[in-house]
Amino acid sequence: MTMVIDTTTDNTSSVLEARKAHNAKLAAAADKSRATWFPLTILAILLALPALQFVGNYNYLLHLVLFTACYATMASGWNVLGGFTGYISLGHNVFFAIGGYFAGMIFARYGISTIVLAPLAGLVCGAAGFALGQIMLKTRGPSFIISSLALVMIVRILLDHWKFVGGANGVALQANDLSAQWAKLPYYYAFIILAAFTVWACYKIKHSKFGLGLRAISKDEIKAESAGINTRLYKQLAFAISAAFVGMAGAIWGEYLTYIRPNIFTIILVSVYMVLMCILGGKATIAGPVIGAILLIAFNEFFVATLGASEINILATGMIMAICLLFFPLGIVGTLAKHRRLPRILNWD
Amino acid sequence: MVEILQTIILGLALGGVFALMGSGLSLIFGVMQIVNLAHPALIIAGAYIAYWGFTLLGVDPLVMLPVAAFVLAAVGIVLYKLVFEREARSAKYTQMTVLLTFALAMVVEGALGGAFTNTQRVTSPDYATDAFFFGDIFVPKGQLYAGMVSIAIIVALSLFLKYSRFGYAIRATTQNRDAAELLGVNVNFVGMMSFAIGIGLAGAAGSLVSFVFSFFPAKHWEWIAVLMSLVVLGGMGSILGTVLASFMLSVVAAFIGVYFGASWSTMTFFLALFLVLLIRPQGLFGEKPELA
Repeated sequence: MTMVIDTTTDNTSSVLEARKAHNAKLAAAADKSRATWFPLTILAILLALPALQFVGNYNYLLHLVLFTACYATMASGWNVLGGFTGYISLGHNVFFAIGGYFAGMIFARYGISTIVLAPLAGLVCGAAGFALGQIMLKTRGPSFIISSLALVMIVRILLDHWKFVGGANGVALQANDLSAQWAKLPYYYAFIILAAFTVWACYKIKHSKFGLGLRAISKDEIKAESAGINTRLYKQLAFAISAAFVGMAGAIWGEYLTYIRPNIFTIILVSVYMVLMCILGGKATIAGPVIGAILLIAFNEFFVATLGASEINILATGMIMAICLLFFPLGIVGTLAKHRRLPRILNWD
Repeated sequence: MVEILQTIILGLALGGVFALMGSGLSLIFGVMQIVNLAHPALIIAGAYIAYWGFTLLGVDPLVMLPVAAFVLAAVGIVLYKLVFEREARSAKYTQMTVLLTFALAMVVEGALGGAFTNTQRVTSPDYATDAFFFGDIFVPKGQLYAGMVSIAIIVALSLFLKYSRFGYAIRATTQNRDAAELLGVNVNFVGMMSFAIGIGLAGAAGSLVSFVFSFFPAKHWEWIAVLMSLVVLGGMGSILGTVLASFMLSVVAAFIGVYFGASWSTMTFFLALFLVLLIRPQGLFGEKPELA
């Protein structure tokens, strides 16, 4: 009798050991195929880039990198809810607005730089996201998408009418007193560091038990719930985290533009860009939103520079989105990975 | 008292137009489970057809209505063939269609904006700026005619759905797609035709919109939430519900507009949409949460 029990325990432990060894092998293989040096090199190059200002005027280049970093932050943040958890929000620019207005108003009143305030704005947006998640996450699928759209419209009208924050005209913020050559620098570094932090945090989230739970929810929420995941709390936390990243980007963006106004933060195109960058690059991947941001911003600049018409830009954005959804729903990274063609340097997962 | 009555009348007059704008959306969702966010953009496309018909040829928008309806129905068939037919079997189909129609809305907006610029336009036949007076109360002729035409179209649609053979097939597909297919309904054809009818209704609504509201391509974002609120409050897929919801909400919006200022009146629709989705996702007349 005892012998039988012994063999079973032996068997289970050997199964567990075999699984552990297998997992370690998979992790080692993943480590080998992962090129951590690549994002780090890019980060180093970007950090050194402003040195170009010593030899000429590269303000436009810096602006493009900064703009891309801003959107990479927002898209990666959106990815936590839209990619990992599978709840598509078309209303995430609400948090862009909340972050921008919160930090912008404090900056206008007390002169504290929004770069210092960004983490606080992130916390505020996280709290707002947690509270909104409490009510909005009762819906799912298409209802969630539509309710997020309604949220943008509501916030837009509220901001348009709120006298304290300047209504539809917004509030002008003071520009910093650096010379034109270096004026962009603080925001440049703030956005690069913010983007790097966001990508790193997304990596950590994806590979944590929490991230595993989120991915289980996106596959099948009812099964995830019955497997013992507190889906309610997980979804709400994902909402809060993604709101926080978007809010931090919004905080700095307001000061960079030197004004806050409803029609910079709450136009639908901002949230469309977040969604589209993730879909184009690959939802629920780490590199996807960054690649999507780079491609879309480059594409956007190209169209505005060559055609100059924002209508054509909207048309083309819609076309890209439709083509992506119809033919590459997994996005660039996802499709390449599926066919085992993903270059090592793009494997950040 | 007169003021209250006047507000109610103005609200009801707009409600008629909203009812037609929403009913196509409702039909498409009922049969195809497509949440058509491109509907308002296509309504604006219909409005442009009526506008150019009036401006270039001097044809009355009410006469242009069938033209706009048929042109857009043809567009609907092309869209269905190109986009939605191939998606019909995909997982997360409804969620996918929301994103797809959202992209489509941008395409339509961009195309219209590129072709006709973003200037505000309005068709102005004689009746658009005229009104009937009953003592102290006035009823704007344009809105009255538009409301009456749209109610007539909706009644015709309901009769068609209720009594024609094809209407049976559409309703059967709405109730249970698989069972309808088992009983010999060509659900793909029914889907395509009801999509075309729905988009055709958008064209018809567009030609009414052209003289009731001023319009420009980017205006459809606002209408997305307005129309969704009607359809969601009415219960997704129920045309009668949509009609009742549009009368209710537009009367409420008219009151809000009078007492809080015109720029707050659209808030009614957005808030209604948000709250209905959270509190009663099946809407007023839906039986089960359809959109979950």
